[in-house]
Amino acid sequence: MSSSLLRPQTHLPPSVAVQLSQQAPFILRNTPSAISPYSLSSLWSAAESPELWMTYENLMLSCLRTGDEQSAHLCLERLTERFGASNERLMALRGLFQEATAQDDAALKKVLQQYEKILADDPSNMPVSKRRITLLKSLKKIPDAVTALTQLLDASPIDAEAWAELSDLYFSQGMYPQAIFALEEVLLIAPNAWNMHARLGEVLYVAAAGNEGGADKQLAESMRRFCRSIELCDDYLRGYYGLKLTTSRLLTTPPASSRQSKADTGLPAPEVKAVERLSELATAKLSEIVRRNVNGEAGWEGYDKADIIAAQELLNREAKPITR
Amino acid sequence: MTWISKSITGLGFLFLAHACYSAHEHSALQSASAATLSSLASHSPSAVATLPIDISIETVVAILAICLGLVLGTPELRPIQWRVWAGKIEREGEKGFMNGDGEVDKDYVGNPFRVLESRPGFVDIRKQRKEFAEWVREGGGP
Repeated sequence: MSSSLLRPQTHLPPSVAVQLSQQAPFILRNTPSAISPYSLSSLWSAAESPELWMTYENLMLSCLRTGDEQSAHLCLERLTERFGASNERLMALRGLFQEATAQDDAALKKVLQQYEKILADDPSNMPVSKRRITLLKSLKKIPDAVTALTQLLDASPIDAEAWAELSDLYFSQGMYPQAIFALEEVLLIAPNAWNMHARLGEVLYVAAAGNEGGADKQLAESMRRFCRSIELCDDYLRGYYGLKLTTSRLLTTPPASSRQSKADTGLPAPEVKAVERLSELATAKLSEIVRRNVNGEAGWEGYDKADIIAAQELLNREAKPITR
Repeated sequence: MTWISKSITGLGFLFLAHACYSAHEHSALQSASAATLSSLASHSPSAVATLPIDISIETVVAILAICLGLVLGTPELRPIQWRVWAGKIEREGEKGFMNGDGEVDKDYVGNPFRVLESRPGFVDIRKQRKEFAEWVREGGGP
């Protein structure tokens, strides 16, 4: 249990968040609130560990999520006691707490003004400027959020998290070329991130669906991205799923137009035979993963339930025209 | 698997202790008898230095057994190839990184690049609260 408190919280399912926040009073009672560096007890008890404060931070987040504001406030107080109110990360955390407990839009505006005041004093305060961007996004001021985010990236262009957020913002607005550019920046910073390769493949696939002119090119690019994600990670369900989608789309669309357009720039279009073989490979791998996971074989239990169901559906959809 | 390695190691240590004890006894006996013999007549001194072959064999066998036991008892090696390691994370999740006591390794973080998609710095707490409230209203299924 406590190990999941040491990891970032945001993707945890609600059932786990409930569990964590239900244990909050117990954890808060049993963990030390403050550690003085020169006490007699430090001779025999363990020294303070970074895990303790990570636990407090994550506990606070899950308590806020489930609405246990008392415990969250206690976490915040203890963190403040340790690190001081002027710590950048704590400023962001306090803002987060105020955002979560704000009753109406007026209160949120007040929080936003507070952020702006902090940033006016110290424009290099990264955690707070990220909070401000999130709050703008939460208030549905997407253009403002994008502007603020690009300013942040101008100041710190190696922040992969911010690039990924920017890509998501653009994607939500349907600005696919910009989203793709931002994701490529993420991959420049983290070239081994297999999930970001798959994400770029997905964005390219969606962009190709809405794009008439360069659809073939984008589909081929998307297929290559999924291939790369599989290359970086064995048995990657998401990668194989995307590979299956892109290859079947590539096989159904006539490739004739792509041949001429490819001549000028970029990689040549993939050969039909290669695409067919990739499609077969994806089908085989997907069915293997689904079969082994459904049978509950040891070492194949880590996949997400929803992902497995989606893969099953894709395979069924694929199987129908053959049996007909 | 662990009990096999532990018993082999234990047996090896037992043999080693026995070999040491035998060697000690043997040398004590030798020096005692050599002392009594040399008082009577001069004897070949090389006999004192040699150890019976069975004690030597026992020592070597004991050390080999200890080595074997320790090697068998090592935890499973972690993958050193990127794609194998990444595949293990995706395929097995937490269960692949448990130690013998059923606890997840302390340094296990899952997919380290997941933060690029969950983005803790940009967490929209109000949206999460809304989603959570909806989840509760729907009956709180998994």
